[in-house]
Amino acid sequence: MIESTKQAGFTGAEFDQFLGSRDEPDWLLRRRREAWDRFEQLPWPSRRDEEWIRTDIRLFKLDRFSLPLGSEFPGEPGDALLSEGVELAGQSVSLNSQCSHRVLSESLESQGVLFGSISQLVQDHDELVRELLSRCQSHSESDRFTALNDACWSGGHLLYVPRGVAIEEPIHLHSVLSDGGVDLAQTMIVLEEGASATVLAEMNSQGEGEAGLHCGSLEMMLGAGANLRYVNLQNWSDATWHFARHNARLGQDASLQWTSAAMGSRLSKVNQHVMLDGKGANCQVNGVLFTEGKQHLSYHTLQHHTAPGCRSDFLYKSALQDRSRTVWRGMIKVDPAGQQTDGYQRNDNLLLSDQARADSIPGLEIEADDVRCTHGSTTSQVDEELIFYANCRGLARGEAVRLIVSGFFQQIFDRITVPSVRDALAEAIARRVREFE
Amino acid sequence: MSDFTRVASTSDLPDPGTMLVELEDRIVVLVHVDGQYYCLDDVCTHDGGPLADGSLEGCELICPRHGARFDVKTGEPLSMPATEATGVHEVRVDGEELFVRIVET
Amino acid sequence: MATDTNTPRPEETLGEINKYDFQTKTDAVFKAEKGLSRDIVKQISSMKEEPQWMRDFRLKSLEIFESKPMPSWGGDIGINFQDIYYYLKPTNEQGRSWDDVPEEIKETFEKLGIPQAEREYLSGVKAQFESEVIYGSLKEDLAKQGVLFTDTDTAIKEHPELVEEYFATIIPPDDNKFAALNSAVWSGGSFIYVPPGVKIEFPLQAYFRINAENMGQFERTLIIVDEGAEVHYVEGCTAPMYSSESLHSAVVEIVCKKGSRCRYTTIQNWANNIYNLVTKRAMAYRDATMEWIDGNLGSQLTMKYPAVYMMEPGARGEILSIAFSGKGQHQDAGAKLVHAAPHTTGQIISKSISKNGGRSSYRGLVRVEKGAHGSRSNVVCDALILDEESRSDTYPYIEIAEQNVSIGHEASVSRIGEEQLFYLTSRGLTEAEASTMIVNGFIEPLVKELPMEYAVELNRLIQLQMEGSVG
Repeated sequence: MIESTKQAGFTGAEFDQFLGSRDEPDWLLRRRREAWDRFEQLPWPSRRDEEWIRTDIRLFKLDRFSLPLGSEFPGEPGDALLSEGVELAGQSVSLNSQCSHRVLSESLESQGVLFGSISQLVQDHDELVRELLSRCQSHSESDRFTALNDACWSGGHLLYVPRGVAIEEPIHLHSVLSDGGVDLAQTMIVLEEGASATVLAEMNSQGEGEAGLHCGSLEMMLGAGANLRYVNLQNWSDATWHFARHNARLGQDASLQWTSAAMGSRLSKVNQHVMLDGKGANCQVNGVLFTEGKQHLSYHTLQHHTAPGCRSDFLYKSALQDRSRTVWRGMIKVDPAGQQTDGYQRNDNLLLSDQARADSIPGLEIEADDVRCTHGSTTSQVDEELIFYANCRGLARGEAVRLIVSGFFQQIFDRITVPSVRDALAEAIARRVREFE
Repeated sequence: MSDFTRVASTSDLPDPGTMLVELEDRIVVLVHVDGQYYCLDDVCTHDGGPLADGSLEGCELICPRHGARFDVKTGEPLSMPATEATGVHEVRVDGEELFVRIVET
Repeated sequence: MATDTNTPRPEETLGEINKYDFQTKTDAVFKAEKGLSRDIVKQISSMKEEPQWMRDFRLKSLEIFESKPMPSWGGDIGINFQDIYYYLKPTNEQGRSWDDVPEEIKETFEKLGIPQAEREYLSGVKAQFESEVIYGSLKEDLAKQGVLFTDTDTAIKEHPELVEEYFATIIPPDDNKFAALNSAVWSGGSFIYVPPGVKIEFPLQAYFRINAENMGQFERTLIIVDEGAEVHYVEGCTAPMYSSESLHSAVVEIVCKKGSRCRYTTIQNWANNIYNLVTKRAMAYRDATMEWIDGNLGSQLTMKYPAVYMMEPGARGEILSIAFSGKGQHQDAGAKLVHAAPHTTGQIISKSISKNGGRSSYRGLVRVEKGAHGSRSNVVCDALILDEESRSDTYPYIEIAEQNVSIGHEASVSRIGEEQLFYLTSRGLTEAEASTMIVNGFIEPLVKELPMEYAVELNRLIQLQMEGSVG
């Protein structure tokens, strides 16, 4: 059991206590306080909001969770799939929003790479952290969840890579939740001009049916010519609530390969916005959603071309089992300055049961004429002929479906350039394929 | 088949009347009309939004947003723009208490 | 008698169709006061001598209209609802003389090759066609086959059981704010009933209905195609249409019974001061096919999403939509397909063009309900942006709740390809001619489905629009 002196809920008194426990500079505490005020004033998003009309959060009760005020994490974090057999340049583990373990190779430290929790790093790098926080994208869709995260974030990681530094091996970020645990991570990955790195982030729950809450944010900022490969594996228990905003801003000729795999959570609402803000920037997103039971996953993506000559390519593949539901909304928005944009967006859905439901809402808002923008969406079924063929070769139906599902996701695997990730994802997916009769 | 869960007292729900009930993983509408109790999913199948704040006319629950009508006994749609039935569940009265059992279709 | 005068604004570019209000002298027999109220709705109903149920229906609809909020999506609807006349019963003398029609408009008619009689009709100079002789005999022929074709006001009196059975069942007044408005103040529109097995070979056109006001603000159309019957209905025209009132909100309800076929073609080219907010929906039953051909060229703002609900196995819906947005225009058009039964099929093809700062938006829905297994639908949206001031949006919604289906959607936005242009100009065409040819090729899938005279007019209209666009 969790030992702590926590009261239930996110009350004003709890927040004061939380603020008091933070060893942070005044400007940062003020920033939190302002966000808390916003949080208190805002209502939860209503079903009438376009963003939330398909995602019902009325059964989400914030008062079943509490602010992480420094308690013992019960037991072991459990397996990390993405780091298995991989040589890492650094690693950080966060348990219920507390950083429990952090390591970075010495040579990187000496090159000026910063890696650790924001609260720790702000002690020695006050100005830099302050500047980075101010560059985080302001959100016109800021809501109660983002205010909560802005006020109460803890745990999370900052990776700062200075000019020209290339980190060869991957850096691993691992977040774990126990029953009733809360993860309020704020993660920032900042690559200065010409820097490069690979970051593997994964999140999971300690046990199967444990209800946790993740309300997090991720900011990636890439300077000119920077190159980042970021992988996110969301593998929470099916009872966890997952709310997140993920933003990336790319400078001139910067390049981002972003693989986002989501298999867990009771309900996810994730906003993924990429701003291509410098000429020649390039972003490839590989999205995998694989659901079961009564899960409800809602992903809202935005490819925003504010600069000319940029390329964005988002591919999302969803496979749905049982009574689960996915909502994918994507928008390619090209400002008048976004001439010579090459924008591509695609969502493919595979329904593995007749109780599942997939909503797919691609979108285009184009204000420049010299562009090439396309989007597509397909929904299809399991090919019975393939099942028959597999049966003839001695495979049981469950194994056949597993093959079909991995065949469905193959296009994504082919786009991932980190070999260990391909294997880890395939493994994670295989584990979740339902046994069919 | 799940069990019956106590959701309200009979005194909470007049005749005619509707009431929103939040269960662990589901939100439903309890309806009391003509001396009988019914229970439907709180979902208008036309736009996926809630049904509970709609009006009750005889045995028809009317979605407040676009006027779709649902038969409270069967969940069947009775008018455009709804074309799909919403879920119905079992209601049992035990003394002064109302119980609901969720029926998965 | 009110006399509206508006100083015509000068044309901006040669060949550019610039539509604007012009002098009208209306000697109306009856003109309700401006604005919307229970009294006005009652007046409309009394003027029409309607049965009680329709009067009650109108009043209930008014309540619904007043209680609904404006849509938070789509275009900017800057309407002051109290500053509009909701009913104007015209006389035979509209009072507009041919001399009052501006030169540029006359030139447009000339270029489009429209016959004089039609020109006078279209510009409101004449309330009806003079060629009653031709159309009169067509009507007789139809009547012999049991086809009912009249305006909706007359239908309520002459065929009440038929009307009552279907009226407002497909689009109830609650459906959306503008359906509620139409339900309260509707006037005119077509009523068509085609008996079982009757296949009408030639298209029925809106202006065959000689005895009522046409191109009205709040038309209400009801078409019932009985089992195995076929009909093609055409409304609108490519020539620019003027109206003294800036809000047009029609409702079209269609029932296609087992094995029937219905095609509804609209070419809309309203003047640039008009809000055109329309609800169109068809129910297709077993093995029935419904086709919407929707051409949107005019108006300041059009919001229109023709829909087909496929209610029984074998039903099919096809929607072909084209939108052309020029300066100051916003076409927010699209299509809806709802698969509410197994083995239903659908197709949507949308082509849109934006130029001179215009904005074309595709907004659509493909929905497969649980149980509608074996359904197949495909959506293709192509958009052309012709210059950097213009804008194109695509907002498709796809909701699939059944596993054994095949649904596809693709959209693309681009401009006229350099290579294509080069190929044509190197063969002696000017850039304007080349662009026109490419744009005509772009909309060809729709044009080839139109009755010939429309196709010819549409091609010429596009040519005119394009001449103004390449400087």
